[in-house]
Amino acid sequence: MAVILPAPAESRKEATRNGLFASRRLGRWGRWLLVLAMTVWFLAPLLPLALWFFAERWSFPGILPQEWGTGAVQEALAQGAVPAFGRSLGVALAVMAVATPMGLLAARAFAFHRPHGAGFLSALVFAPLALPPFAAAFGLNVLFLRLHLPPMFGIVLVLAVYALPYTTFTLRVAYGAYECGFEDEARMLGASRWRVLSRVHLPLLAPALMRAAFLAFLVGWSDYVVTLLVGGGTLVTVPLLVASAAAGTGNDAMLSVLSVTAVLPPLVLLLGAAIHTRRRLGVRS
Amino acid sequence: MKDMSSWSRRKFLAAAVMTGTVAGLSACSGAAPTARTFDDWAQVSDQARGQTVKLWMYGGDQQGNTYIDQHLVPAAAEVGVKLERVPVADTKDAMNRVLSEVQAGTTDGAVDLVWVNGDNFGTGKQAGAWACGWTSLLPNMALTAPQDPLLTNDFGTPVEDCEAPWNKAQFTVVYNAATVERPPGSIAELLQWARKNPGRFTYPAPPDFTGSVFTRQVLNSVSGGYENVPLAFDRSAYEDLTPALFDAMSEVAPALWREGRTYPKSGEELNALFADGQVDFTMTYGPATLTKLVKDGTYPPQTTVLELDGGTLGNASFLAVPATSGNQAGAMVVANIALSAEQQATKADPRIWGQFPVVSAERLDHRQQQLFEALPTSSVVPAYEVLSRKANPELSAEWVSELDQGWRRELLGGK
Repeated sequence: MAVILPAPAESRKEATRNGLFASRRLGRWGRWLLVLAMTVWFLAPLLPLALWFFAERWSFPGILPQEWGTGAVQEALAQGAVPAFGRSLGVALAVMAVATPMGLLAARAFAFHRPHGAGFLSALVFAPLALPPFAAAFGLNVLFLRLHLPPMFGIVLVLAVYALPYTTFTLRVAYGAYECGFEDEARMLGASRWRVLSRVHLPLLAPALMRAAFLAFLVGWSDYVVTLLVGGGTLVTVPLLVASAAAGTGNDAMLSVLSVTAVLPPLVLLLGAAIHTRRRLGVRS
Repeated sequence: MKDMSSWSRRKFLAAAVMTGTVAGLSACSGAAPTARTFDDWAQVSDQARGQTVKLWMYGGDQQGNTYIDQHLVPAAAEVGVKLERVPVADTKDAMNRVLSEVQAGTTDGAVDLVWVNGDNFGTGKQAGAWACGWTSLLPNMALTAPQDPLLTNDFGTPVEDCEAPWNKAQFTVVYNAATVERPPGSIAELLQWARKNPGRFTYPAPPDFTGSVFTRQVLNSVSGGYENVPLAFDRSAYEDLTPALFDAMSEVAPALWREGRTYPKSGEELNALFADGQVDFTMTYGPATLTKLVKDGTYPPQTTVLELDGGTLGNASFLAVPATSGNQAGAMVVANIALSAEQQATKADPRIWGQFPVVSAERLDHRQQQLFEALPTSSVVPAYEVLSRKANPELSAEWVSELDQGWRRELLGGK
C-alpha cells in the first residue's frame, strides 16, 4: 500500500491550521516592530539636532524653526571650530596609534602566555574604567608639570591609558577565538616569521584591530578634562568648544553644528571599517 | 544619597579636590611661588612686549567670546602682547590647572589671566595662587573709585591688589510680560505669586551659582532687608535668620515647577525652561546676555526685567594673574587695556556685550564720558544706575557655602 504524502503546500496549510507557523509569523512582525522602534529610538533624538543646524531663529512654541539660515555655521567658525577640529583629530589619531599596539601586546600576553598574577595585571589594565579621568588628570598633572613634559605628550599618555582597557578587551576576545593552526600551517609551508605576521596573523585579527582602534579614537576624540587640565589650554579641541558653549544659554544652534560635525569623523571611520570588512569577506567567498 | 545626582558629579569632585589641595597647600604655604615685582609701569610694558597671554574664561557667552576676539585681542596686539582665549565650561577648571601648577612650583604656567570672582578668587588667594601687589601699578586704575566697596571686597575676601576689576553685575530677575499680568514688586511678593500660580516658578538648586544667589536674596528679604544680615559670617546670625529663610522656601516648594520635587540643576537649565515657556521667570547674575537672547528669539519678545523693591545683590568680576604665570607683565598690560575707558565703553555696548563698566563716571574726562553717553540703551536691560539702585552688598564666601549646605539639608533632607 502506497503511502500518500501530502503535497508541500498542503502540509504548510495544514501546519498553519495547526498553528505551527503562527508564532514564527508573530515573531517576524515582532522583529519588524523592534527594528522600527530601534530606528526611531536612535534617529529621533538626531532630528532636533538636524533642525537646529539650519535654524536661524527657533522660539517657543514653534514646532519648526521660524527662520532658516547658516548663521550657526558662521558662529561655530567664528569660535574657532576649524582649528579645534584639526587638534581633536590629532589627539584622537595619536591616542589610537599608541593604545592599539599596546592593547594588542597586552591581549596577546593575556591570551597566550598567562603571566604570573594575571588577575592582578588585568585588574590593573582595566582600572582606568573605574577611576574618573578627572582624578587621574589632577593627580598626574603635578608630576607632569615638575617633569616639564610637553602638554601634547602628557595628553596622549594619559588618554592612551584610558583607551587601553577597550583595546585590550576587544583584542583579547579576538585572540580567544584565534586559531594558531593557521600560523603553524604557514610556517610549515615555509613562510618566514615576518610573513606569517603580515599575511596571516594581522589579517586574521584585522576586524578586531579596527574595532579596537576605533574605540581608542573615540577616547581621544571625546575627552574634555584631560585635554584641558594636562594640556593647559594649549589644545582647544572640539569637546572644549562644545562644553563651554553648552554651559551657556542660547547656543543651541551652534552646539548642534559642533555636535553634528563631531559625529562625522567617527562615523566615517566606522563606515570605512564596515566596507573594508565586507570587501575582505567578499574576496574570500 | 539620591539627591547627589542632581548636581554635576564632576563639579562636585572638582570642588572636593580643590578643597583638598588648598588644605595641603596651607599646611606648607611657604612653597607657593611669589609674584615678580616691578618698580613702575614702564618696566612692565617693556617686559610685556612679545609675550603671549592666555586668558582662561567661561566660554558659554558667545558675545563675551566675540568681544575678546574682536576688540581686546587687537588692542593688546597694538602694544605687542599676543592674547589667546581659552574657553572653559566652568572657572573651576582654570582654578584646578592653576592649583596643580602652584603645587608643582611652576614658573611658566599655562594660565596667565583668569576671569574670576567670589569663592574661586578666595580659594586661590588662600592657596597663594595669585600674583598680588600689581593692580596699583595699572595707570587705568585711576579711572575707578578707590573706595568702591564692590571693588575692594570680592564676596568678603579683601581684593588687596590681587585682581584688577573688569565688570560689574547685578542680580536680575526677569519675567515674561505676556504671561505675567501683574508682576510682583519684591522678593516676598514673588514667592506669593509663585504660590498662587503653581508650576510657573522655580529656581536652580544651590550650590548652583544662580540658585545660591537667589537663596541669599530671599534671606535678605525675610530678614527685613540686607541691612539686617551681617556681611561676615556669624554663627548666631545664621541660627537667628535662616529658620525664616528655609520656612519661606519650604512653604513655596509645593507650588514650584514639578511641585518642587526636583529643581533645575543650573541657571542654564532654568533659562531653558523660561525659553520654552515652561516657567514665567528666570534669573541671572549676568543681565548682559538678556539683550541678545531676546533679539535672537531664544527668550520671548516681552521679556522684562523685574523691578524689586528691596534692590538686588550686586558684585564685580575681576581679572587675576596666577603667581605661576610666566607672562605676568603681559597679563598686567592686558588687564590695564581692559580697564581703559575705550574698552570699558565698547564692552558696555549692548550690541557687543553689554557688561556694566567698573570705571567711575566722575573720574573720566569729558571725552571719555562721551564714549559712554554715545552708547545705545538696551531694549531689555535698564541702565546700571537703575538696576543697581538700592544694591545689596554680597555676603562673604563663608555665608555662601553655609547657606548652600543649609538649603540642601532643609529642602532636600526631608525627602
